[in-house]
Amino acid sequence: MANRETGNVLARFNVGDRVRVKDLPNLFYSRTQMYVRGVSGVIASRTYQSLVPEDEAWNRDEAQPQQFYIVRFRQKDLWEEYPFDNDTLQTELPEGWLEPATD
Amino acid sequence: MSAQHRPSSAAPTASQGPKAPIRLLEDIRRAGKTWAELAPRWGVSEPDPPWKTSLHATCECLSAAAVLPVLERRRAEDELGETLYCGTPAPEQQLLALAHTMLTRGLLSEEELARRIKEVRTRLVAS
Amino acid sequence: MQSQHDHDHAHDANAAHRAAPMVDEISDFEVLEIAVRELAIEKGLFTADEHRRFTEWAESIGPAAGSRLVAKAWTDPAFKARLLADAVAACREIGLDWAEPTGTGTPSDYMEFRVLEDTPNLHHVIVCTLCSCYPRPVLGHSPYWYRSPNYRRRLVRWPRQVLAEFGLQLPPEVEIRVEDSNQKHRFMVLPMRPPGTEGWTEEQLAEIVTRDCMIGVALPRPDRKADDPRPVQPARRPVESTSANRAAG
Repeated sequence: MANRETGNVLARFNVGDRVRVKDLPNLFYSRTQMYVRGVSGVIASRTYQSLVPEDEAWNRDEAQPQQFYIVRFRQKDLWEEYPFDNDTLQTELPEGWLEPATD
Repeated sequence: MSAQHRPSSAAPTASQGPKAPIRLLEDIRRAGKTWAELAPRWGVSEPDPPWKTSLHATCECLSAAAVLPVLERRRAEDELGETLYCGTPAPEQQLLALAHTMLTRGLLSEEELARRIKEVRTRLVAS
Repeated sequence: MQSQHDHDHAHDANAAHRAAPMVDEISDFEVLEIAVRELAIEKGLFTADEHRRFTEWAESIGPAAGSRLVAKAWTDPAFKARLLADAVAACREIGLDWAEPTGTGTPSDYMEFRVLEDTPNLHHVIVCTLCSCYPRPVLGHSPYWYRSPNYRRRLVRWPRQVLAEFGLQLPPEVEIRVEDSNQKHRFMVLPMRPPGTEGWTEEQLAEIVTRDCMIGVALPRPDRKADDPRPVQPARRPVESTSANRAAG
């Protein structure tokens, strides 16, 4: 997986990479939905760099910005017994919540 | 991360907790005329009350100033909208939830809000 | 607790003000809104000037901007390409600046905006499961049902059922893609131009691109210029924030 520089921080993932959402504990404030945690998807788009909401909510401006990505999940991977093969869901996640998928 | 870094750390003034009814707002909820009642009576077809954009602006300003972040306000609106204010139509429900949240977070006190409501009413009747 | 009050009669006598009926009755809610705002300003939580700027902005937005973007994209392929490549820049072409009213947008409308193009095999629908993020600069304020827990908690889990409740049924071979705008990006759907609109002008086309079409809960039709009313229902089978059901709260 090639690192490519966009903005100020190195972006670890590229479009098409398979990633898994980490299942981290909530530190008071997070915008990472429960339903994607632990689930694997594909990077659909690399978006912008920003403070993560966990830092932004506490006005920790000195924290390091992170690369954000839009990740595409198959609905069948998100929900047990989801009946339609083609359906997908996309949502945006900061890099710190993602790791390379092994499945 | 300590609790004092939380965006809204003001102690609740409503001793019964953030979801307990607040008498001042209960009176308004029960007796207040909603836009859905008033508009047809006056032959007005506007779907929303004129104060709605001002309410939205108040919410934006509180959020911009990090006094009441969007996500926390929305969570409170959801919780109160499904409980205390569930029978009240949308813009009035949002207003009650905002006032409720500001009271329980100590941003306003019930006494000063009650006093101000009287003053505003007197002013509007006179105008 | 409400009472009658007279607005300025000399004013009402003016022909320009006689046309539109108004509610000439003070409601407790109107009073409460003013009281909360005045106290917040007096306590220094924000300034009257900040409030005025946000109010002016709130009054200036509506779904007409989104309708124009779609109609222009339908009639001008080069514009469509620019819209899909950089939607914020394309908005400036129709006079819409995402930086308003503060220079960096509002606290909940950042300057990240993408347009999602529907195709015969792909249908998009937008939601914000966390709160109610919505592309307000192009669509105005979100409708109440969009903010309701019923919509927000169920669309991610049962999108076809929720769409069917809106009267939209799509065949299984069409991929339904739910876009959950939980971070800074805001999204809008670019629906397909419906048959029966051949030769229409951009203005005619814009009239049938209703708000619901740009959220993705309806498809544009040549015979429909307004969204159907949507009653807000309590959440049925909502997705809860439990590990068993893993969901958005």
